[in-house]
Amino acid sequence: MNKINIYSIFFFMIFGGIAAFAQKTSSLVSKETSITFYSNAPLEDIEAKSTLAASAMNIKTGDIIFRVKNTSFQFDKKLMQEHFNENYMESDKYPSAEFKGKIEGVEKLVHDGNYTLNVKGNLQVHGVTKIYTTAVIFNVKSGIIKANTSFQIRLADHRITIPSIVGKKIAEVVKISVDALYKQ
Amino acid sequence: MRYTNNNDTNLLQMRNILFIILCFVWVTTSAQEDLEKLIAVEGPKNEKVTATFKSGNLINLKTTETIHRHEMDFRVDHRFGDIAGSAGGAKNFFGLDNSTDIRIGFDYGLLDNLNIAIARAKGATEVRQLYEGNIKYRFIEQTVDNRIPVSIAFFGSTTVSAMGAAEDKQSAASFTGFSDRLSYVTQLIIARKFSSNLSLTVVPSYLHRNYTAYNDQNDLFALGIGGRAKISNRIALVADYIFPFRKSSNKKYREEVSGQRYYNALGVGLEMDTGGHIFHLNFTNATAIQESQFISETNSSWGKGQFRWGFSIARRFNFSKK
Repeated sequence: MNKINIYSIFFFMIFGGIAAFAQKTSSLVSKETSITFYSNAPLEDIEAKSTLAASAMNIKTGDIIFRVKNTSFQFDKKLMQEHFNENYMESDKYPSAEFKGKIEGVEKLVHDGNYTLNVKGNLQVHGVTKIYTTAVIFNVKSGIIKANTSFQIRLADHRITIPSIVGKKIAEVVKISVDALYKQ
Repeated sequence: MRYTNNNDTNLLQMRNILFIILCFVWVTTSAQEDLEKLIAVEGPKNEKVTATFKSGNLINLKTTETIHRHEMDFRVDHRFGDIAGSAGGAKNFFGLDNSTDIRIGFDYGLLDNLNIAIARAKGATEVRQLYEGNIKYRFIEQTVDNRIPVSIAFFGSTTVSAMGAAEDKQSAASFTGFSDRLSYVTQLIIARKFSSNLSLTVVPSYLHRNYTAYNDQNDLFALGIGGRAKISNRIALVADYIFPFRKSSNKKYREEVSGQRYYNALGVGLEMDTGGHIFHLNFTNATAIQESQFISETNSSWGKGQFRWGFSIARRFNFSKK
């Protein structure tokens, strides 16, 4: 085998190694992601929570992604949960909600501390994608990043219609709160 | 590949540079795909199919649906008189002047898949003033991953008649003791939600009446079929049909000697879901609402215009602590 061919293999190994290393260090996964939504209407307050959401972020590029299955939201009243999936979210057609965005100023997250950074991206709910920007509070401590945020969604923006007969039981704007804990 | 010729050196350098660039491209693209791969989301484990039907009843048949633990379902069923035929028409406002049967029932959820119920019905055959107790237990539930392809519920019902015993000894109501007043229905309700818009059900049924009209049979097997097809998010078309397997000798006697003809009950209707209330508006030839009566004694025929308006209203209440 000649020298140059060996160089090629050498290059390949180095870059392969860097590639693997780069992925390991810059991508963080949150297995403990929870998403809660609140609807405060004159006749009824509704709250539902999913602890089966998933999220991942890249602290180099600032890419961040969330996904949650609609059927994983738990309601106190099971009939509401059925209505949520059957009548409003149409979970058979649109099984999950998804957010893909970018953290602005992600480079700050390499040092320990608390940071409030804007996250901007596309949120898909009920098959309708819309751009959202929200301030997220990040808490960084020895490589573990805690993130939480809350924002509001207007149901009509995502083609979720409320019949007038139940209008006073479901709010037009619901509050979403998200908690995530990212580790390597 | 072997490069021994010095003339190849330039080409070789270029190749190496190209290779390095390719490596960079590979690094960046794989990092992006990586994020997607890292978040394979899970749904709830062994996720069950929900809302195969929207209500515990189709038109005449029951469905596999149960109400949840600590919920109560209050339900009123009504059947009017014949729309057309000799007993219908304008003179009794297409049946609306009469009611062949009325039933008021309360279901309660002991568990998410176990319900008990009590009901009072007028009764549409010779046997009237009915009180019913029933139990529905959905012991198999269809799963989203199709490992369990169907839901199956057991339905058991006991009906007692409170009316005074009839004097005509041939009547099904000429009771001689308390046990004569009882009838029992056992059904296995098998259902599958084929898509979000279509659910079908098959209901093998067994009816036992302790006392019947002269020369009718005490035990009767029947097979029900039914379905629900969604028209919109909140409105669905529902239909059901039941074949009773009456012995031909009994049927012949009842028809020829007692002048009683039997038909299979067919119902079609619309189901409206308002979130909490379920309304049914339907047409059926069955005069009775109770299983113990419409399976065995539907004496009206669609072909003779002897079908009727029917409606039901069901309202669910929640008594859970939180």
